[in-house]
Amino acid sequence: MIQLEHLTKRFGSFTAVNDLCLDIAEGEIFGFLGPNGAGKTTTIRVMMGLLKPTAGRVVLGGHDLAKNPLAAKAISAFIPDRPFVYEKISGREFLDFIAGLYQVPAATRQSRVDESLELFALSDWGDELVENYSHGMKQRLVVAAALLHDPQILVVDEPMIGMDPIGARMFKALLRSLSLKGKTVFMSTHSLEVAEELCDRIGIILGGQLIALGTLDELQQHANEGRLEDIFLKLTAAPDMLEVIEALRA
Amino acid sequence: MEKLPGVSNQLSESRKQLPGVRKQLPGVSCQLPEKKAKQFSINNWQPTTGNWLLLLVPRFLAARNGVRRMGREGQIRTLILSTLIVLFWCGIFWFFDRTLDYFRTIPDLGPVLSQKLLSMVFLTFFAILLFSNVITSLSTFFLSRDLLLLIPAPVPPARLFAAKFVETLVDSSWMVLLFSGPAFLAYGVVHGGGLTYYLMVLLTFIPFLVIPAALGVIATLILAYALPAQRGKDMLLVFSTLFLSLFYLLFRLLQPEKLVNPEAFSDFLAFVAAMQTPTSPFLPSTWATEIILPFLGLTDGDALFYYLLLVSTALFLLVAGSFLATHLYPLGWSKAQEGQRRRGLHRWWDMAVQGLAGFFPSALRGMVAKDLKIFFRDTGQWSQLFMLLALIVVYVYNFSVLPIGGSALRTFYLQNVVSFFNLALAGFVMAAIAVRFVFPAISLEGKTFWVLKSAPVPLRRLWWSKFWVGLLPLLFLGELLVSITNYFLGVSTFMMILSASTLFFLTFGIVALGMAVGVAYPNFTAEHSAKIAASFGGVLYMVLCIGFIGLVTVLEALPVYVIMSSKLQHLPLSTAQWSSIITSLSLSLALALGVFAFSTRWSITRLEEMEISL
Repeated sequence: MIQLEHLTKRFGSFTAVNDLCLDIAEGEIFGFLGPNGAGKTTTIRVMMGLLKPTAGRVVLGGHDLAKNPLAAKAISAFIPDRPFVYEKISGREFLDFIAGLYQVPAATRQSRVDESLELFALSDWGDELVENYSHGMKQRLVVAAALLHDPQILVVDEPMIGMDPIGARMFKALLRSLSLKGKTVFMSTHSLEVAEELCDRIGIILGGQLIALGTLDELQQHANEGRLEDIFLKLTAAPDMLEVIEALRA
Repeated sequence: MEKLPGVSNQLSESRKQLPGVRKQLPGVSCQLPEKKAKQFSINNWQPTTGNWLLLLVPRFLAARNGVRRMGREGQIRTLILSTLIVLFWCGIFWFFDRTLDYFRTIPDLGPVLSQKLLSMVFLTFFAILLFSNVITSLSTFFLSRDLLLLIPAPVPPARLFAAKFVETLVDSSWMVLLFSGPAFLAYGVVHGGGLTYYLMVLLTFIPFLVIPAALGVIATLILAYALPAQRGKDMLLVFSTLFLSLFYLLFRLLQPEKLVNPEAFSDFLAFVAAMQTPTSPFLPSTWATEIILPFLGLTDGDALFYYLLLVSTALFLLVAGSFLATHLYPLGWSKAQEGQRRRGLHRWWDMAVQGLAGFFPSALRGMVAKDLKIFFRDTGQWSQLFMLLALIVVYVYNFSVLPIGGSALRTFYLQNVVSFFNLALAGFVMAAIAVRFVFPAISLEGKTFWVLKSAPVPLRRLWWSKFWVGLLPLLFLGELLVSITNYFLGVSTFMMILSASTLFFLTFGIVALGMAVGVAYPNFTAEHSAKIAASFGGVLYMVLCIGFIGLVTVLEALPVYVIMSSKLQHLPLSTAQWSSIITSLSLSLALALGVFAFSTRWSITRLEEMEISL
């Protein structure tokens, strides 16, 4: 469903993503892990057409993003790490605007908007300007907007930031149910527990390169470690950083 | 550390990129070896000074780093801006030098006129500074992002006030200081002011800049404290913009030109009396004028008295500001953070906006409705309409008081030549409006641009929606302005048609050019649209517009001249004259359409390829 073929993104002399290859199947929840600055967000921004790749290509649901961007975007949805939304329009107006952009049929648009507001516990706030929303509410609004057009592919960048425990629980349940319906989820996260709990496969990126890829079992076998956190640290942390962690534990 | 299958051999290289881990872990030194403890201690980072200047260090460092890391594009921008500033400087100096030189040739009245001009210069600066400080202090004291870091920090309010006051003073005064230089230099050159004159100008400017800055900050602090919560920030913006608009209107309607037009007064003595009356003895601008004049040999006034008055007022206002900041600022800041709840409000207005968007093609309707709603709900945007209104009233008023009449030749000249210049001026007014409303259109998408960029919508649709939203009101306004002013002038039908049709095509070019420069120099992180308009892109846009309007006008000058001459001499036009008229008008039309077509094509392509990494 999602193919990244030799994807490379450079900013001047700095290579943020280097020759990344991934193939993610329909209905799969894929966890994309890596330390800060590893290239996760850049990869996602290239996948969503916010940045152009220096080399390689992105194929979403069989549509080449460079050649047929509108078709590729029409079956996808993006949830960014920071929920920047138009502050001067209400939540309902925002959802209505998004429904228009993604061509949700006019006949069902109003009911879809109402259902989304209801599902994400925003009904009472639907007519308030977004500037009055908390961070978590904005995050929920962005998730509601992403699902409005029933996308085949959901690309999520750090979904749990700012969400309260109920919101986080709801979001995890939502991802599971989407996966069961055959939707593909590409999720970057720092929450290793979430990745451990939800993801069918996990990719770890460091310095723009994919350094590990597989199911949790496969990663455990390769790394000879039990918990994902230990695997992650073993792969990505510098020795002096591990020394600091040990000192702090002591 | 072990290596897993498939692990890149660049792993160790990547580890080097993990930034400043040690520096980010303060307070853990007790569990670590002594050597490491020294590296981790936050004390290594704490500056030795604890005064308010410390709060300005980030801005200074950011400015320094901006200069140090300036790329090629930045250098070119700086070069263009510097050239423009130098040209502007030369222009101001030339104007004042010639004017003051001319005044010197008028016996008796000359020195009075020089005094009056200086007084007007100071008064204008004072008004501009007052307005600019209210707007800037609103930003520095209430909107600035560093406040979220500074307010919870253990910084005494008086220190925060001092730092933010200096920030406000510098931000709002540098431009006045920069452009006042040539005016005072011209005074010194023409009236032979010595070194003491220049020194006195510098010494006067320090308290003269402090007073409006302190007044602006105090006004903002009081308003933010007194105004109802939730709307304080918005109302401050509206009040300050309204204030400037009213000041501008009043200043114009007082007809200051009468002061340099002795014919308007019944006799010479009345004129001299009017000229010598100070604007107001309570205004700091009057005190500043009274300080400078004796050093130019224009009066024998008591400079020391006025200087002490100026300095003591500045000091008093500083103390008052600091006192108010300590007592009012915390609550005012807290109030300003609250948003606007709109449940049930302005439903009819929303419906009107929706109805307005209904006139646009369905593909653009959603985007147009969104832009209109945001425009009318964002006080920072719609409050600029006050300025626009004031500008239009003054523009029309100027033409209504033009002294048309007298000999037939004079009337003919005024009616047609002035109307021709009116066309260029109206074009310039259109550009001045477009730099506020059209040029920032793409930038105003801000950090929400990801919504449209990741949606299955061609971005040319966004471009066209913003183009039409900008073009239609501007076109209506431009045609209205030209028609009304031409009516006041009583121009010929030919000039009426030429003006209306030229402005029609000019506006298409002006708006498309505004969109193009806006796409070329987007600013997605600006706090408000006025800041976007005042950026390098805004200046460049105005320069390009002046060039464009100038070229179109020059191309039309020949046909106007030929036709008017033939009418005046009652002679028919020859074939050669006809062909030159047609060629010039065609070239003018081609230029306007060319600018429109090129700007449209280029900026749509650029917009579709634009990368965003917010």
